[in-house]
Amino acid sequence: MEALLVPSLAKVDRIIQETPDVRTYRLKFKDEALMEKFTWEPGQFVEFSLLGSGECTFCISSSATRKGYFDCSIKKAGVVTADIHLNIEEGDEVGIRGPYGNWFPVEEIKGRNLLFVGGGIGLAPLRSLIQYCIDHRTDYKDFTILYGARTSADLCYKEEIEEWKKNTSIKVVLTIDKAEDNWKENVGVVPKILEEVVKPEIANTKVITCGPPIMIKYTLQSLDRLGFSPEHVITTLEMKMQCGLGKCGRCNIGSTYICKDGPVFTYAQLKALPDEF
Amino acid sequence: MSFSTFVTDKAGLQKLYEAIISKHETYAPVEKFGKYDYKKVSSLKECDPDSPIAMTMSVKPLFFPRSSKIMKYESNSAGTSVSETEDDHLAVPRVILGVKHCDARGLQVLEAVNKWDYIDSDFQKRRANTVIFSTRCDKADTHCFCTSLDYDVENLDATDVALVNGIGGKLYIQARTEKGENFLKENLEKQSAVGSQQSAMDDIKKQYEAFAASFRLKMDYKDVNEKMSKRFNSPAFEEASRNCVSCNTCAFICPTCHCFKISDVKIKDTGVRYKSYDSCNNVYFTLEAGGHNPRPAKYRRWRQRSMHKFVFYKERFGVNLCVGCGHCAISCPVNISIFDVVNHVASTPVVL
Repeated sequence: MEALLVPSLAKVDRIIQETPDVRTYRLKFKDEALMEKFTWEPGQFVEFSLLGSGECTFCISSSATRKGYFDCSIKKAGVVTADIHLNIEEGDEVGIRGPYGNWFPVEEIKGRNLLFVGGGIGLAPLRSLIQYCIDHRTDYKDFTILYGARTSADLCYKEEIEEWKKNTSIKVVLTIDKAEDNWKENVGVVPKILEEVVKPEIANTKVITCGPPIMIKYTLQSLDRLGFSPEHVITTLEMKMQCGLGKCGRCNIGSTYICKDGPVFTYAQLKALPDEF
Repeated sequence: MSFSTFVTDKAGLQKLYEAIISKHETYAPVEKFGKYDYKKVSSLKECDPDSPIAMTMSVKPLFFPRSSKIMKYESNSAGTSVSETEDDHLAVPRVILGVKHCDARGLQVLEAVNKWDYIDSDFQKRRANTVIFSTRCDKADTHCFCTSLDYDVENLDATDVALVNGIGGKLYIQARTEKGENFLKENLEKQSAVGSQQSAMDDIKKQYEAFAASFRLKMDYKDVNEKMSKRFNSPAFEEASRNCVSCNTCAFICPTCHCFKISDVKIKDTGVRYKSYDSCNNVYFTLEAGGHNPRPAKYRRWRQRSMHKFVFYKERFGVNLCVGCGHCAISCPVNISIFDVVNHVASTPVVL
């Protein structure tokens, strides 16, 4: 067991300040052969350690179709993440274990319309899938991204969003909670914009959503009202995890281990779990 | 494969123990302040393989240490280096004497979680290199309920060699696994195999019946499994856990609890990462970085603890995560017993 818990060293190649409290760390394994071999599916996560501070769970926010690196987008939220923001500079080394967990059903959603609904840092796991789907664009039909944040400053991946907007095969809808000067896009919370502006087509559409718990709660209600069946709504759970191997017991909900059986679940699967997340 | 049963007496067993201790790396219960813990021993005088069940700590730490080093690392201006730590001193060939039957079953139960998907090879290696001698109790203690939990008198490969008291001072030594069989063949000097396997089994059954009759606590676990699975929302959890002080003792001494945490200790440029026991009764267990805690209340943590033992683990791996050793109840500072909790919850009305 102990051997499975030893991380490999990776170098921080680039740090991108996404929002005041979110940074994306672009990582490359020190061992080039390992970097070459390292692959993952959209939605999987890694255990990221700042040696001396601790280990945290983050999803990989880039797609394996973009080779040679992987991204972790980290929001300053707790003890270790605050240390990460404070102490890690470009060129520093961190420990990485993974990838762990299941992933978005990239095969099952082929030939479908995709509707991504993200809020705040919740766009991170979706971004991995969005990049993957852009790189396999012909496999998927209509492509809509609804993304919201509290303020315009809190929107992650601003440069990449501009690229998505330029891509004519993608419909991008942005929103912020309260009106701001110079803001030309929508104003209002994500579920409201979903129902009033996006008005998605239900037939043949898969919804992939991730965001803060409160957004998820109301988004699921909106989707329900719009007529989406829970089997077609896919989300990824955030949960305290440590080992990532289905052993340490932390992410155990019912007989499910979120780190092994998840973190990606359909809304239908979530409904069957005890309400403990 | 059928295994041998040998018959001996107290003096014969002592001789066997002495021979084992002189030839092999041996662990056995050693007394300190009235409690027994498994320690490496060099003579039979130091230890007591017949230590009373209620006073004996679990053998689990010899397979799953209370705290173990994952790695050491060094990080300075020259860069970072990670080194895996020293050799596993628990994975060498060894014998453990005086393991209680319930405790040995705990290891069997733990194998399920250690073997699914990612394999905990350290645990497996430690178990594979160990010959476990278990002693079957003659009488139940106040908090014991092992006979209620899949205790099977004939098929019990949780242990490699089982010792059972027969009638009239007879002592049976039974191989339970191939490893145990081979070990006995190598280490029993005068092989006094029983005359008739059948009469030995009859004798052992009689002993078991007398033992089973001595239990104060009895339950039908299948009934409890079934009833608990429908009572996730029962307010009885709140009542049952009210006195809990969240000290986690129950989890740390439990033969089947296996939750752990990973933590770093760093002094200047050198650090060590540890894997140590943790418990779902700990308020910080599920606390997320953003402040969200899915189990903020004590009753929710107790619900997780008891449901995991009697419903979730059973659903997932087909076996209860409890062996009825009663140690949690013995050690609890406020006298909470898992037996009482699950039976109490099971007896309350269904809440949907």
